[in-house]
This record gives sequence, structure tokens and C-alpha cells, in this order.
Amino acid sequence: MSLLSDIGRFLLMLKGMFKRPEKVSMYWKELMHQCMEIGFGSLGIVAIISVFIGAVSTIQTAYQLVSPLVPLTTIAQIVRDTVILEFAPTLVCIVLAGVAGSRIASELGNMRVSEQIDALEIMGVNTKTYLILPKIAAAMLMIPLLVIIAMALGIWGGRLAGTAAGIISPTIFDKGLADDFLPYNVFFALTKGYVFSFIISSVPAFYGYYVRGGALEIGRASTKAVVVSCILILFADYILSALLL
Amino acid sequence: MIEVKNIQKKFGDKVVIENVSAQMKPGQCNLIIGASGSGKTVLMKCMVGLLTPDQGEIFYQGENFFSMRHEQRTAIRKEIGMLFQGSALFDSLSVEQNIMFPLDMFTKDSSAQKLKRVNEVLERVSLKDVNHKFPAELSGGMKKRVALARAVVLNPKYLFCDEPNSGLDPQTSLVIDKLIKELTVEFNITTVVNTHDMNSVMETGDYILYMYQGKKEWEGTRQDIIFSNNKLLNDFIFASEFLKDAKDMRMLEQTGKIPNVRNMDDMTKP
Repeated sequence: MSLLSDIGRFLLMLKGMFKRPEKVSMYWKELMHQCMEIGFGSLGIVAIISVFIGAVSTIQTAYQLVSPLVPLTTIAQIVRDTVILEFAPTLVCIVLAGVAGSRIASELGNMRVSEQIDALEIMGVNTKTYLILPKIAAAMLMIPLLVIIAMALGIWGGRLAGTAAGIISPTIFDKGLADDFLPYNVFFALTKGYVFSFIISSVPAFYGYYVRGGALEIGRASTKAVVVSCILILFADYILSALLL
Repeated sequence: MIEVKNIQKKFGDKVVIENVSAQMKPGQCNLIIGASGSGKTVLMKCMVGLLTPDQGEIFYQGENFFSMRHEQRTAIRKEIGMLFQGSALFDSLSVEQNIMFPLDMFTKDSSAQKLKRVNEVLERVSLKDVNHKFPAELSGGMKKRVALARAVVLNPKYLFCDEPNSGLDPQTSLVIDKLIKELTVEFNITTVVNTHDMNSVMETGDYILYMYQGKKEWEGTRQDIIFSNNKLLNDFIFASEFLKDAKDMRMLEQTGKIPNVRNMDDMTKP
């Protein structure tokens, strides 16, 4: 019953976002602010994770491919496809659910508890449109970009680790990257990126916007938002893979 | 003018407000008083539309607030300023940005005009050199004054203050009360103050609505309070022996039985 009521309120929240803005320039300013927070604010952690994931993928793939019959270019192909198909969109988005999602939930939760949302409502501002829509729009703009950056850095990390460990030369790695490359995989990864970015922004916004109580409840809402987002990301990952691959 | 007619609000089975009616006139401080849990905050939230009453109507200038279209209601809200109990300043914005926010959102004024208006209201609430400070750097009294400045920056017709003195020392409370009173008279605002601070009641209450367990128990002016024999009201307002003595003394003064000469400084004057 609670789940159905939550889904109903979530859908009403989404419906409530689509109202005419009071002043477009203020909404644009808020959108840019959120793009900075969500995009640039998460760039560091995304870069670090991507490089190391790519590096570990290369080393572990090489460790498992012991047969002399398998060409070394296969390592680069496996690293490329794993990073593009799974690591860059899914793993990065799970990390972003923690970084950006908890920030969105706690920011809105704090605004709710300290009556800042009520203050905006009384001024005549549509708070769902002003506070939630720019966050979702910014996430859907910036997270696919972060996914593309994660793809590039992941593959570069793999190349770097392969060369540093003497597993594979840069030339062979580059050749492997170009072999049998399917641009559709990038499209698939970006589709996942868009779906996940909607989950990462809308679910924490829901838990933050409707929080009741004090600091403890904000913490709980933030944790719940991250947990639910991660579960929904994994579920959506499965559905999209089954449908699109 | 704001008119409240037969408002009722329930949370589950619990009736929080029962059949409350009142008339709140412009240019005067209309106080809603009562103990914690008496329903005064819920009544105020119903009046500004943050909660929808289960029954009853609220009229702004004769227009029923709850039967208005969304656009009309938004237009009324733009004429409302509200001072929240916890100030509700936007943490991530400076004092100047906080006060400028309603101007940015609802006016087409130039940056210079907006800044001029911000400085005017800051001066009006006696704050200087705080433009670039953030709410976390301000004292409780300063936060209230900034919130009051933000509430009046668009020249509202209606000002709602939810416990403006909570968490403030008596002297700062008097300064805030005095400011609210002055702004109310100066700009002919219909001010509604939700309080259980007895100083506020006696200093600013032009019209007082006393709520007890969700019902309107008493209404009148601050003069009427002195002579009221409503037991619940007297127990609430003059709770201590000291305050009871003060009431008796004020009664004797006002009926001319003792001279009205007290050797005390007027704390409301700077």
C-alpha cells in the first residue's frame, strides 16, 4: 500500500513539475547551477573510478587469457566492450547515485525541514518546477556526458595499465580497440545513461522533497534515496539489456 | 482584509482546528495566541494555503482563496510576505541574494534598482554591512530581521509572522515586535502574528484571537485583555504571580486608581 502510494505521489510530483516558470532567466540560472553541481562536482570521482576500472579490467583480462592462440588484441576488445557496455554507464551511475543523489535528497530535505520550500511556495514560486525540474534536466544533460568521459578514461586507463605492466603494447592495444567496433554499443550505453540519470535525480528529489521531521529524517531519506536509486539502476540495467541487446 | 470563516482542519481523527472564524483588518497587528498544540500554526498555514482546510473559507479582500484558480492564488501569494519561525533564509545565498530573490523572480527591475531596494529594506530593519554575509554567519535576531526584510521587499499587502520572537532574548524580541508594528502601520499591511510571547501581545496586539484546544476561546484588543475575566485566557497570559500583579497594576493605572508613573526605561526605544 505504501509502495503504491509512493508511486502515486512520485508521479504527481513529476506532473507538478511541468508548470509555466515564473521567470525563465531564474530557471536557467538554477539549471546552470545544477549542471555545475552535478556535472563538474562529480567529475573528479568519475575520472578516478574510470581510470582504475579500465586498468584493472586490462590486467584481469590478460590474467585470464593464457592461451597463445588468442591474439593480444582481444584484451583491448574485451576492455573496450566491458567499459562501454557496463562499467561506464552502470558503475559510474551507481557511484553518482551516491554522490549526486544523496546531495539532491539532503539539499531538498534540508530545505523542507527548515521551511525554505514553504517560503518559496508563499512567495508564489512553483517549488516542484523551480527545485526539481532543473535538477532532473541537469542530470540528464550532464550524466550522459560523464558517461562518455568515463568511457574514454576507462579505455585510456586500460591502455596505460597494459603498457605499464608490459602486458600489451600501445600499438596492439589501439589496433584491438578498432577491431570489430560496434557504434551501437555507444548508443546503448548512452541510452542507459539517460535512463539512469533520470533515476539518479528524480528518486532522491522525491525522498528529499517529501521528507518530514528533522536532521535524522533527512539522513534516513538520503540513505533510502541512494539505496532505492541503486536498486532501480540495476533493475533498469537488466531490462534495457534484455530489450536492446 | 482577511476573513476566516468556520475553518476546520483534521489530521486523521484528531480535530486540530474547529470552527474558527475571525476578521483581520489592514494597518493593524492581528495576533493568534495560544499554548503549544492549540492549532495556531495550523490555522496560519491554512490562511496562507500551505494546508487546505477540511471545511470553511478564507477570503482575501472578499475573494475566496480556496475557490480561486491557480493563477489567481499565485497572484495573491505574491502579495503575501511571511516571516517563518526559523527564518527560512536560503542557506546557499548571501543576505543580499536572499532579499533580492523575490525581486529577481517577480520584477523586471534593473540590477541597480533591485540593489537600491535591498539596501532600503535592510536599512529599514536596521541592518548595515551584512549584504555579503551568509545566514550561517548571522545571529538569531539578525536572521529574523533579514527574513523580515525579505518578507516586505515586494511591499506585501499581507504579512504573516510565525512566532517571530522564538529563540530571541527579550530585548531583541521587542525590537522585532516594534519593527513589525511600524511596518504594519507605515504600509497599511494586514499583519497576522502567531505568538505566545506576552510582551508581543501587550505591545502589538490590535486584535487578539486566543485559541484553546483548536477552538476560538476569546477575541478582543490588548486593552480588553487587561479587563477580561476569561479564566483560560488569564491563566494563559498571566501565568506567573509576577504577571498577575502586573495585570492588576495596569488595571488600577488604567482606571485611574493609582498614578501611571513608573520609574522604568522604555525598552522599546533604542
